[in-house]
Amino acid sequence: MAFNYDKYLRLEKMPTLWCWGCGDGVILKAFVRAIEKIDVNQDDVCIVSGIGCSGRFSSYVDFNTVHTTHGRTIAYATGIKLARPDKLVVCVAGDGDSLAIGGNHTIHGCRRNIDLTFIVINNFIYGLTNSQTSPTTPKGMWTVSQKAGNIDPTFNTCNLAIAAGASFVARETMTEPKKLEKVLIKAMKHKGFSMMEVLSNCHINFGRKNKMVSAMENLEWIDSITVSKKKYDTMTEEEQLNLLPTGILKEDTKADEYCDMYAEIQKVHQGQRAKITQDDFAKKI
Amino acid sequence: MGTFTIVNPGDQPVWVNTDNCKACDKCVSVCPSGVLGMRYESTSVLGAMISVDHPEACIGCNECELACPDFAIYVADRQEYKAAGFSFAKLTDDAKVRQEQVIANNYMSLSEQGVK
Repeated sequence: MAFNYDKYLRLEKMPTLWCWGCGDGVILKAFVRAIEKIDVNQDDVCIVSGIGCSGRFSSYVDFNTVHTTHGRTIAYATGIKLARPDKLVVCVAGDGDSLAIGGNHTIHGCRRNIDLTFIVINNFIYGLTNSQTSPTTPKGMWTVSQKAGNIDPTFNTCNLAIAAGASFVARETMTEPKKLEKVLIKAMKHKGFSMMEVLSNCHINFGRKNKMVSAMENLEWIDSITVSKKKYDTMTEEEQLNLLPTGILKEDTKADEYCDMYAEIQKVHQGQRAKITQDDFAKKI
Repeated sequence: MGTFTIVNPGDQPVWVNTDNCKACDKCVSVCPSGVLGMRYESTSVLGAMISVDHPEACIGCNECELACPDFAIYVADRQEYKAAGFSFAKLTDDAKVRQEQVIANNYMSLSEQGVK
């Protein structure tokens, strides 16, 4: 017998609607294996996904799932988490979903440091709608909306999350599923906002005009633009240009978590404690 | 409805579910020992289908299973497989050469002729 995926999947939805060789499936598999490892009841997990190819993620897994509106995964998930802080809430969004239309929600989710796991599947393009420029499309790449070559500067998802205040930030590629699984486990166990960027392939819509027509060619390109954090730190600034470090980039276990503080607010309204003042926060600092 | 085969169909180290396979060649590209290859299949969308050509060479590294996005390939659990009285092969030079040949053959099985 092999690993029991059946337990966690909605078999009536299979096979998946994703293209052949799509990275989303690999991430789905790594996620299912990670859930098995952290040993949590299926009824205690909630998956929130947005719109895009990554939005299909919630349809295939047999947990509590919400397929929400475009870019509003964090908004829905915040509500779910505040109502049921004991549940494990995982958001899945694409790069366009989380950084373009949902960019506002993303940075404020990071700022609040609410205990969510946010998986951003970054395939560098709007894959579902036939390859328009997304916030993470590298400069000079061909897209349908910028046929002469993309001139828009690129968002660095992890740096954005660190600057906005997320307490766990990691970047992984789907070329190393075993490593991805390990970091996913850490991200889900972390108390606080965990931003998990996963670089994925879209050889159908990103690769077809950028000389990466097969999944393997696209993955080779991803390997060529990523480097482990250890090695990245030893590089000069010139070498670091156009490279993305992979691994855990930030892990802060001491930051205030939003659900804990929200519980204090509830106590205030129930008359169990005095109002929260600036001094309460000053003590912690 | 897709059918799933997590149960080993007769003591195999690696087995496939052709209902789910979309012929993306990923598993073939990550195999270190030339176990897998694609064969021509007229009913498949991409005209090819996964086949396990050399199960006796499987080293049980699980790379193909992890790389497959469509839950179409499975590798036996190492402990269970050993308990049943079987063992995975060791990685040999022959196997490495065969893997290089399969990749050079456009991920097609060496018994298949022509270009996909």
